Amino acid sequence: MAQPALKDTRVEEFEKKQEWWWVAEKRRSGRLDYLRKAIWKKGAIGGLYAPGVKTDLEQAVLTTNMAKSLEGSPDPYVVKSAKLFAHILDNKTIFITDHAQLVGYTGSLPNTMNWNPSIASILNSEVFNDPISIPEPVDKNQAVIQEIVDYWAGKTDLDKMMPVFDIDDLMKMLSGSIGWGVPLARGGYSNKDYEYIMTGNRGFQDIIDELDKKMDEIDDAVHEPTANKEIAMMYDRLNNWEAMRIALEAGIRIAKRYARLARIMAENFEEDPQRKEELLKIAAACEQVPAHPPRNLQESFQYDIFIQMMSRTEAIEGAWPCRPDYYHGPYYDKDVHIDKTLTKEEALDLVGEFLIRAAEVCQFKPKWAREGLQGIDGTWVWTMGGVDEKGKDACNDLTIAFMQAARLVRVANPTFAFRWHPQVKDEVMREVFECIRHGLGYPSIRNDPILVSNAMHWHGHPIEEARLWVHQACMSPNPTTKHGYQPMRMANATANCAKIIEYVFTSGFDPVVNMQVGAETPDVSTFKNFEAFFDAWVLQMRTIFSILVRSVNRARLLAPTMTPRPFLSGLSERCIESGQDTCDPSIARGNAWITAFTWVENADSLAAVKKLVFDEGKYSLAELKDALAKNWNGYEDMRLDFVKNAPKWGNDDDDVDRIMLRCLDACAKFSKELKCPCGNNWPILPENVSGNIHYANIVGALPNGRRLGDALYDGGISPGPGLDKKGPTAVLKSCGKIDHVTQGRAFLLNQRLSPTQLAGEKGFQLWKAYMRTWADLGLDHVQFNMVDDATLRSAQKDPEKYQEVIVRVAGYSAHFVDISRKTQDNIIQRTVQGLG
Amino acid sequence: MTTCQECKNFFPLEEDPNRGDCVQRVKDPRQAYYQAKPVNAEDDASACASFQKKQQ
Repeated sequence: MAQPALKDTRVEEFEKKQEWWWVAEKRRSGRLDYLRKAIWKKGAIGGLYAPGVKTDLEQAVLTTNMAKSLEGSPDPYVVKSAKLFAHILDNKTIFITDHAQLVGYTGSLPNTMNWNPSIASILNSEVFNDPISIPEPVDKNQAVIQEIVDYWAGKTDLDKMMPVFDIDDLMKMLSGSIGWGVPLARGGYSNKDYEYIMTGNRGFQDIIDELDKKMDEIDDAVHEPTANKEIAMMYDRLNNWEAMRIALEAGIRIAKRYARLARIMAENFEEDPQRKEELLKIAAACEQVPAHPPRNLQESFQYDIFIQMMSRTEAIEGAWPCRPDYYHGPYYDKDVHIDKTLTKEEALDLVGEFLIRAAEVCQFKPKWAREGLQGIDGTWVWTMGGVDEKGKDACNDLTIAFMQAARLVRVANPTFAFRWHPQVKDEVMREVFECIRHGLGYPSIRNDPILVSNAMHWHGHPIEEARLWVHQACMSPNPTTKHGYQPMRMANATANCAKIIEYVFTSGFDPVVNMQVGAETPDVSTFKNFEAFFDAWVLQMRTIFSILVRSVNRARLLAPTMTPRPFLSGLSERCIESGQDTCDPSIARGNAWITAFTWVENADSLAAVKKLVFDEGKYSLAELKDALAKNWNGYEDMRLDFVKNAPKWGNDDDDVDRIMLRCLDACAKFSKELKCPCGNNWPILPENVSGNIHYANIVGALPNGRRLGDALYDGGISPGPGLDKKGPTAVLKSCGKIDHVTQGRAFLLNQRLSPTQLAGEKGFQLWKAYMRTWADLGLDHVQFNMVDDATLRSAQKDPEKYQEVIVRVAGYSAHFVDISRKTQDNIIQRTVQGLG
Repeated sequence: MTTCQECKNFFPLEEDPNRGDCVQRVKDPRQAYYQAKPVNAEDDASACASFQKKQQ
C-alpha cells in the first residue's frame, strides 16, 4: 500500500504551476489517498457545519442515561465522573476504516461530532437549535435532544459553577464583548505530563498497579490507632485514586474492543491476506497499548491517539498540545534504522495516517468558537524540532518524515510549529521551508532560545523543564513535565483588546452590549494631555484583564471538586503521587497567560491620538469622541487623516513603536500583579485566530480610522493589512524592538511571501537570510502565507476547483474555501513582502 | 421474539456469551468501514433492519 496512488506525467506540470494539492494527490500512496479523501470535513465553513456532518447523539444518550442511574449512588462525585466516562467507552459504537492502520475516534461514526451534554447548557441549546447537524430523522432526534437538554439544565459544569462566580464579572464576560470562552476545566486546552506517559516507561496497567499500591498504603494508614487532619484528608485522595483507576481501566477495555473488532474482521470478513495481516497487527497494537508501553512506531502512534480520544471523551478540547517527533522519534529510529521492520515509505504512510486521524477529530462547538476558528475544530498546533532537556538538537528523522507527510496529506489541522534554534541542520530547515513553499501555511517558526528564556522568566520553569515545552494552544509554550504541565487553559482569559482603547472614549460603557463593562474613567474630552489619556488606557486594560482572570482563577480553584478530571489526572505523575486532581493548583507551577486578541489597534490608535490631537492639535478629543460615536459618519475627511497621516505599527517608525512598547510595559508590569492560584504570573500573548472577523461587529469605531464592521487587524503584532509600507525588514525591525522574553508570553507575526520569488534553491537561500534577520532581532514567532493573490481570487470565483488550497489564518491554517468571505478578503489584503 | 444472538452480525464475547458485538459493514459517502456496537444476546432484534438470520 505504500506505492504512489497514480503515476502521472502531469506532476511536473502541477509543480511548475505551484498547484501543490494536485502534486500531493499524485505522489501519495494509495492508502493515504483513500484515507485522506475519506475524511469528513469537520471544521465549520464560516460558522456552519458542513452538510452530512452530524451531532453524535449516541454518546449524549449514554452520558444522560448513566447520569440518571448514578443519581441515587452514594459514590463521591469524582468517582461518579469516572464511571460516566467508563460507561461511554464501554458502550460507544466503534469502527475501523478500510485501509486504516490506526484506530480510534471521538464520535461513534466517521461523520459524527462528539457531544458531551454534561459540560454547558449554553452548548446544549446550540445543539438543539443547530439548523444543519441534527441527524435524520430530525423530528425524532430533536425530541431526543430536547430530553437531554432538559435533563442537564441546571446540572452541567457551567450551570453549577455560575452561582459561585462573581455575578458582575460573569455578566461582563458572558456579554461577549471583552472575552471569548468560558472558565471551565472540562472545556479548553489540556497539556499533559508526556514525560510520565510518553517516554516508553509505563502504560495504563503500570499506573493502575501503582495506584493499587498507593491505595493499599493509605488504607493501612487510615486504620492506624490515631486520628488527625492528614488522615481525614486521605479519604479524598483515596476517592481520586479510585476514580483514576476506573478511568484508566476503561481506557484499556476500549482498546481491547478495537482489538476484538480487528480480529473479527480478519477472521470473518477479510479475504485479502495482506489486509488480514494488517488487521491482526492492529489487534496486537490495541492489545498492547494503552495497557502497556508501545513496542514500535505503530503502537506509539496508537497509544497517542487513544489518549487524545479519551481526553476528548472527558472534556471538550480546543487544542492538541504535543511533540510527536520528540516522543515517537525513538520508535521511528528503532523500526526504520535498527530493526528495519519498516521501510521509510511504510513509515511515511503511518505518519500521514497519524495526521489524518487527528484531522478528522471533532466535538460539537458553540457558534462563537466556530466563528473564531473558521474552518477547523480546534487549534491542533503540534510542536516539532527544538532541543532536549540538555539543550541538544532534538530534531530527528521523524521530524523530517512529518514535514514530508504533511505535504502528502495536506490537512489544515493539525498544523506544525517548528522550534528553531541555532543547531538545526540545513536538511531539516529545507524540509520546513518546503512545507511553507507548498502553501500549507505551516510550520510556524518559533525561536527556541527566546522561548526557553521566556518560560523561565514568566513562570519560573527550571531550564531543563523549560526546554521540554510544547504549544499549549496556538502559541503558548508549556513544559510537558510533572509540575510544569498545565492541565487546562481556560479560553476565557482571552481579551478583546480593541475594547481597551474603545472604552477610553466611552468611559467603560459598551454601546454594543449596552452595559458598563470597563472602568468609569473620566469623560475623554476632559483629558488635557497624552499622559492623562494613556493613564485611562492603562486603567481600562487593568479592568478588562482583571475581570477575565478573576473568573479563571475562581474556576481553577473550584475545578478539583466541582469539575474533576479523573482520566487526565491518571496520566499525571503529580496526581498519582499525591492523590489530587490534575487541576489542583497546589501541586502545579502554573503557566497562565492572557491571550490578547485585537491588540495592535491600540498602538495605532494611541499613536494617532498623540500625533493628531495632542502634538499637532488638529482635532479635539471631543470631536474625535463624537466622530467615533457616529462611526465616522459625517467625518470621512477626518477619518482619512487618521488612516493616512498617523504613524502605523510595522514600518520601523519610532513614534508608534515607542507607544507599542509602552503599552506592553504597562501590561508586563500588571502581569506580575495578577496571580493565578498557583501563585504565578499572567503575561499577555497577542494573537488572534479569526477573532479579528468575529469581533468586527462588536468593536466600535477606533482612532486608527477603523469603522464598526470593518475587519480588525489579523493579529498578534502583525501590522494592519496593507499598512506596512516599508518592506519586510521594517516589519521585523518594529517587532524586534519588543523584548520577546520580558514584555509578554509570545507575539504572533503573520507575513505573506511571494511563491514566485521563493521558488527553487534561490528562494530557499532568500528565506534563510530572512530567517537569520528574524532570529538576530530576537522575535519569538513568524508564520507565512505563500499563496499568490491570483490563486486566492480564482478560489473565490470558483471554489469547487480550489477545495484544497490552504492558507494561514492566524495561529492556525484552514482551507481557503472554508473561511468566510470577510476573512478571505482580509488575507488577500495582507501585504506580500518581497525579500532580498 | 427474534434476538440478537440469532443474527449473523452477532459476535459473542468469549468470557460472557450473553454479551457481544453487532458487527456491520457500512459504506457512507466518503468511506467504508466495519462498526461494532455492544449488544446483549437476548436483546430484541425483531425491529432491526440489519438483522440477518444466522445459518445453523
